[in-house]
Amino acid sequence: MSEPTAPENALAVEVRGLTRTFGARKALDKVSFDLPQGAFLSIFGPNGAGKTTLVKVLTTLTAPSKGSARIFGLDVVEDAVELRERIGLISHNPLLYPDLSAEENLRFFAEMYGVDDAADRVRELLTAVELDHRRLDFVRTFSRGMLQRLSIARSLLHRPDVLFLDEPYSGLDPHAVEIFDSLMAQIRSEHTFVMISHDLAKGLELCTHALILARGKVVLSAPKAEIDEDEFTATYRATVGTGVS
Amino acid sequence: MAETTARRPGRGLSWRQFRAILRKDIVMELRTKEMITSMGIYALLTMVVYQIALSQAGTAFDPRTIAAGLLWLAFVFTSMLGLNRSLVHEKDQGCLEALLLSPVDRPVIFFAKAIGNMIFLLIVQVLTIPVFAFLFLQGSEYGGQLWMIPVALLGGAVGIAGVGTLLATMSVNTKGKDFVLAVLFIPLMYPLLLACVSATTAAVLGGDGHVQQFWSGMGLIAAYDAIMVLAAYALYEFVLGA
Amino acid sequence: MKQLRVALVMLVIGGLLTTVAFVMAFTTAEVQRFGTVTLSERIDTAFPLQEVTADGYRYERPWFSQKIFYFHVPVAEASFLVFGVAAFFAIRFLMTKRKEYDTKSRIAMETAIVFVTLTMITGILWTRAAWGVWWEWEPRLTTYFIMTLMMIGYFVLRNSIEDEERRAVYASVFGIIAFINAPISFFITRLIPSNHPVVFQSGFATSNLVPFILGQIGMLLVGYAIYSIRMNEERLEERVEIMKEALEG
Repeated sequence: MSEPTAPENALAVEVRGLTRTFGARKALDKVSFDLPQGAFLSIFGPNGAGKTTLVKVLTTLTAPSKGSARIFGLDVVEDAVELRERIGLISHNPLLYPDLSAEENLRFFAEMYGVDDAADRVRELLTAVELDHRRLDFVRTFSRGMLQRLSIARSLLHRPDVLFLDEPYSGLDPHAVEIFDSLMAQIRSEHTFVMISHDLAKGLELCTHALILARGKVVLSAPKAEIDEDEFTATYRATVGTGVS
Repeated sequence: MAETTARRPGRGLSWRQFRAILRKDIVMELRTKEMITSMGIYALLTMVVYQIALSQAGTAFDPRTIAAGLLWLAFVFTSMLGLNRSLVHEKDQGCLEALLLSPVDRPVIFFAKAIGNMIFLLIVQVLTIPVFAFLFLQGSEYGGQLWMIPVALLGGAVGIAGVGTLLATMSVNTKGKDFVLAVLFIPLMYPLLLACVSATTAAVLGGDGHVQQFWSGMGLIAAYDAIMVLAAYALYEFVLGA
Repeated sequence: MKQLRVALVMLVIGGLLTTVAFVMAFTTAEVQRFGTVTLSERIDTAFPLQEVTADGYRYERPWFSQKIFYFHVPVAEASFLVFGVAAFFAIRFLMTKRKEYDTKSRIAMETAIVFVTLTMITGILWTRAAWGVWWEWEPRLTTYFIMTLMMIGYFVLRNSIEDEERRAVYASVFGIIAFINAPISFFITRLIPSNHPVVFQSGFATSNLVPFILGQIGMLLVGYAIYSIRMNEERLEERVEIMKEALEG
């Protein structure tokens, strides 16, 4: 086995022939791509293209049928437990308990990750996402934008190296998007990002690498520098048409 | 791999996670009192229905002979209510996914949820029994030893919570949550309830050989708990992974 | 197609064997007599009332119920065996996550539910013939009743889940735990003292092995045939699915 985090090749994500089938259905079909450390990957594709399945495999929630995926050299199946300590997820679902306060929610997840300086870390993050004044309020009283900010704080508790974003902009009003963007800009330099997006413009604006999936296959995978935007948009439009029913 | 193995969660972390999940469930329950109130009110309603069922039984009828059966019936139905709620909390905002993303061994989730459910069920049992006794057993004599009742309650609660947690985790992801839970839960509970009713009846009635009947009932409860909770524990990881 | 032919042949042989066993049960099989039994009250039964004594009503021990034995017991054993096959494939499925095992498990469960229903029907007839009541909460009957409910639960669970893979996993998990629960149900019902009077003790002939074994083999062949035919159908359906998928892409 190779050294997990050899700095010279510095690959954050390494996906090789990733296939996930159930019976005749192929959710992922021989997906391969690399992502260097510090990159921002946007995954595009129509509904049912396998975007969510891909992220579920990369976040260790589902096992692949064939092929492999490694994040910082850690295999998503064999080293799942170690890997979970190095990844975070911000979903369109807040993944927070409505009947606990903001602070209690973060304290709970800090315990789950075994964060040592839990109390300080929670305060620090609440301040960072500007929710310190609401820390004792129940999450059920929060607006969509506040939930998303708290969700960012939750995902950063254990200082992950890779952050997965599953359509984080859905349901956010323009103001909330602004705050979200500024928060993302703050943490951008320290993490590698993998984002599922429906919003082509937004996804392209943020990314350094782009990937289009359709029917479980990679249609296009390239660094942004090599992408011709018009051509890319045309490819994207064409694949959305071939959505699986 | 030195760096990564150092980060591997040890026993200490599992224990910390277990306590965190359990504490979170208890805090949430103390705050909303959703499970206890719904289960408690449901238990009271059951008592009213029992009164109707027994209304024509006549004065010669000794309610002690069916007291244990009625009690366990109330427990099994109220427990389904609680189990369903306990897992709905996890599912509603996708929190279960967040739990699974954390470096937690899956059995920790099973045991934490199951023990939380067991505690709530025990609380409802302890609250229901005096009410039941007050409503139906006045003037009746208690035949056995008093310690037998809590022993039987605990034995039953272990099985209900263990198997129930597995089934409720599945049923919250189905279309007809409560109905599916009932259809899966009651047949699996059948042998346990039968043994529980036998042991509890022995405790209530007393008389010749009641100690022996109680212990043979408890033996069967223990066997059921051991086998079925072990099976539920082994299968839980598959359910979480789906 | 070859498999379907084999299945049909097995169905015919199985049916013939069962019929032969049934005919033998009424012709060549020796009828065992168990003497008489005295009951405290008069019951509505097909068995000759011999005399009324001070102790109660003396009936001849049932013998007619033996006839159903050649049918009921093979069906009951086959149903448990097929249930076991379903649980086995469920375990295989959880280990491999290959859809074919889930399909096999489901088809086995379908076959099992046919047999369990037959067991219930013959069991009820037997209770009526042997014990003079239509239903008795007797360990075997109760266990089969619970098994029927669990199998219904299995299909209710399947029908209430959209996602194909989740459906397969949940169904397998329930199939396994239900299979573990069945013998526990049997032992606990048997060991818990019951207040119900046991009207007659059942007693069986041991000498009438030939029709019994024939019936048993016949029933297993029928079971396997039902399973194969359904599996065949399922495979065809799957091929249609694959073709559809291919055409779309």
